[in-house]
Amino acid sequence: MVLALALAAVFYAPRHSAQPSPSRRLGSAVLVDARVPNTSAALAQGRTLYDESCSSCHGTQAQGSSLAPNLRGLGSATVDLWVSSGWMPLANPGVQPARKPSHFTPSQTSAIARYVASLVPGGLAIPTVDLKGASSAEGFSVFALNCAPCHTITGAGDALSNGIVAPPLHGVTGTQIEEAVRTGPGNMPRFSTFTVSKQQLADVVDYVTRYVEHPDSPGGGLTLGGVGPVAEGFVGLFAGVGLCVLIALWIGDRNESGGESEPGHGDGGHGDGGHDEGPRAETPEREVAHA
Amino acid sequence: MIDSLFSWIDDRVALSRSGRHLLDKIFPDHWSFMIGEIALYSFIVLMLTGVFLTLYFVPSSTPVIYHGVYAPLRGQTVSAAFDSTVNLSFQVRGGLLMRQMHHWAANIFVGAIVVHMLRVFFTGAFRRPREANWMLGTTLLILAIFNGFLGYSLPDDLISGTGIRIAFSIMESVPFVGTYLAYFLFGGSFPGTAIIPRFFILHVLVLPLLIIGLLAGHLGMLVKHKHAQFPGKGARDDNVVGSPLWPTYAAKAGGFFFLTTGVTALLGAIVQINPIWQYGQYYAYKVSYAVQPDWYMGWLDGALRVMPSWELNLPGHMIPTVFFPAVLLPGLTFNLIYAWPFIEAKLTGDTAEHHLLERPRDKPLRTAIGAAVFAFYFVLFGASATDVLANYLSLSLNVVLWAFRVLCIVVPIVVFPVTYKICLELRATPGAGQRKRHNLVVRTADGGYTTIAAEEYPGYVKAELEPVALDEVDLVSAMAAEGDQGTEGVYQIPRDYR
Repeated sequence: MVLALALAAVFYAPRHSAQPSPSRRLGSAVLVDARVPNTSAALAQGRTLYDESCSSCHGTQAQGSSLAPNLRGLGSATVDLWVSSGWMPLANPGVQPARKPSHFTPSQTSAIARYVASLVPGGLAIPTVDLKGASSAEGFSVFALNCAPCHTITGAGDALSNGIVAPPLHGVTGTQIEEAVRTGPGNMPRFSTFTVSKQQLADVVDYVTRYVEHPDSPGGGLTLGGVGPVAEGFVGLFAGVGLCVLIALWIGDRNESGGESEPGHGDGGHGDGGHDEGPRAETPEREVAHA
Repeated sequence: MIDSLFSWIDDRVALSRSGRHLLDKIFPDHWSFMIGEIALYSFIVLMLTGVFLTLYFVPSSTPVIYHGVYAPLRGQTVSAAFDSTVNLSFQVRGGLLMRQMHHWAANIFVGAIVVHMLRVFFTGAFRRPREANWMLGTTLLILAIFNGFLGYSLPDDLISGTGIRIAFSIMESVPFVGTYLAYFLFGGSFPGTAIIPRFFILHVLVLPLLIIGLLAGHLGMLVKHKHAQFPGKGARDDNVVGSPLWPTYAAKAGGFFFLTTGVTALLGAIVQINPIWQYGQYYAYKVSYAVQPDWYMGWLDGALRVMPSWELNLPGHMIPTVFFPAVLLPGLTFNLIYAWPFIEAKLTGDTAEHHLLERPRDKPLRTAIGAAVFAFYFVLFGASATDVLANYLSLSLNVVLWAFRVLCIVVPIVVFPVTYKICLELRATPGAGQRKRHNLVVRTADGGYTTIAAEEYPGYVKAELEPVALDEVDLVSAMAAEGDQGTEGVYQIPRDYR
């Protein structure tokens, strides 16, 4: 036992010391983005947009304020994710931002992100999604292990504790998935390449963009929001049983009898004197056919 | 030719007399008496679609590599049960429709039992001599819930595996014997490899046989007692007023069977249920959020969610939180249901035979108690979706959970007096719940207008028939004379007739 521990220590210690720190690995993971050339014109556009839409809270040098966090050194991936998903500019400070149509075009978003990243170097650059050789099967497996516990296995999203929400994954882009996984926005954990390798992340992107958003997913009918058996139960009870009960109402006799069971009641207003006051609009002709 | 063949057969099996006997059965007419039939017919659908599914399902936990048509699963190691369920969904013609019909029919089956039970409860149909049949029906409900849960578990997908995991823990929570029980059923620790084949044989053989047997008893007792009836149309405690099985109810029931099947097929065709290919194989280390059981177990899930984490520390033995909502609550629930006919007889001192039903409003206390108790379980069912509701209503999960904790106490307390008062109001208001008469605006000869109540509704036919008393000779000879043509109508037979 002691020997085994000693062996383990010998085996693991040099490996750990030899590894670069996770953040350095993350920072050097991807640095290329083909969408916008890294020119001074693009940076100037980013600066203008930043000054117009971001600086009032995050400060002119992205240094943050009492209203908003410091963005210096965060890298362009974080900024790109928050702006492209419409989380920023924030509609309502104090609550978790909800996905909405972005205020900016992709190139504008990228320009803002580059401008902020250019202020202080560091952080993660906007990743380039490469799905060549990606396996949706592997992605499904990684997704079930790492993403489904909050976002649900169907990607419908769900409420976590204290008002925090794991948002739905419908309509997200591959770039946003990679940015979110690597930067960990809000309460979401950041997954380093130790947890989810570059290849596994590409697999997840492949699975989510093709199957969670269902362009390739086989059917079976209306999906009821993908929120599981409670929605199915309501449909089973109200559509299924409800429809059957309506059929019973249609086939069966709707005569409301029972007048005799209320002695002392109900004879005040009606002069007919009969015990059967019920409407019998669809009662079949009840001719007794034999003597 | 055919006649002589029939008479040859009949000489040997002698069915015509007893068959005639059965066909002459008089059933009281009311739509609510047909709700139990929905359960019966969806059970038939369950058996038919279930047989289809067993042709392709492999009840085994043996790991296999998936090689089917659904790309995101290809190459994954899954159990044979999961593999065969996905394959029968995608690679068997009509397989997915059959599987979805089977699942929807299960939801409808249990739902119809509950609605039928509510009808029986609120009309007082459980009173003597039908207490035993009430208890039999309750047993059927329990078996239906269990069998539903087993069937839900069989595909071995991510969500049902989570359900089995919870069931294992619930069994473990039973004081003293819990761990033994759980290890006995699962053949060892969770998850093991025994549970899928065991659940399978329980699901397709043991429980269906029990259900069929008890169902036969349920219907046999119905025939024996003859159906209870609403008062009116000359119905009394000592007679049965209604229409004969042949041809009236044979036609209605036959049509109803096909329509119920149609509803199931419609849902199976257009609404997705339990898309296991999206869930994937269950592994103990994988879990999804937004997981609930099917609705008939939902109230138990809800009870587990709203229960505060209170434990009972007895000397030498700790009773965990899970025990109270998941073992004690259903135990109390079903024992209360079993005992209700006797509790009510004790409270009212009424132990006489009753064949006349009561309208809910005429028994305000029973109705109010029933409504309050039902409301409690409905709130618990809602509580099984705390996370989904919080998400859709953009509320904090904690707020929703606390809301349900409060609601499951407050709602029954509110429902009870409200129902009670509504019953009293309905009793005091003649014609309540019936259609109002039309008012006619009439122009008088000198140009003025006046409103008078219409005598009758347009198209309203006042058809109050006196039931025709029948005795055995009459009915049989009349049938024979008319060649089974003219037996529609309202009949009356003595309750002790045959």
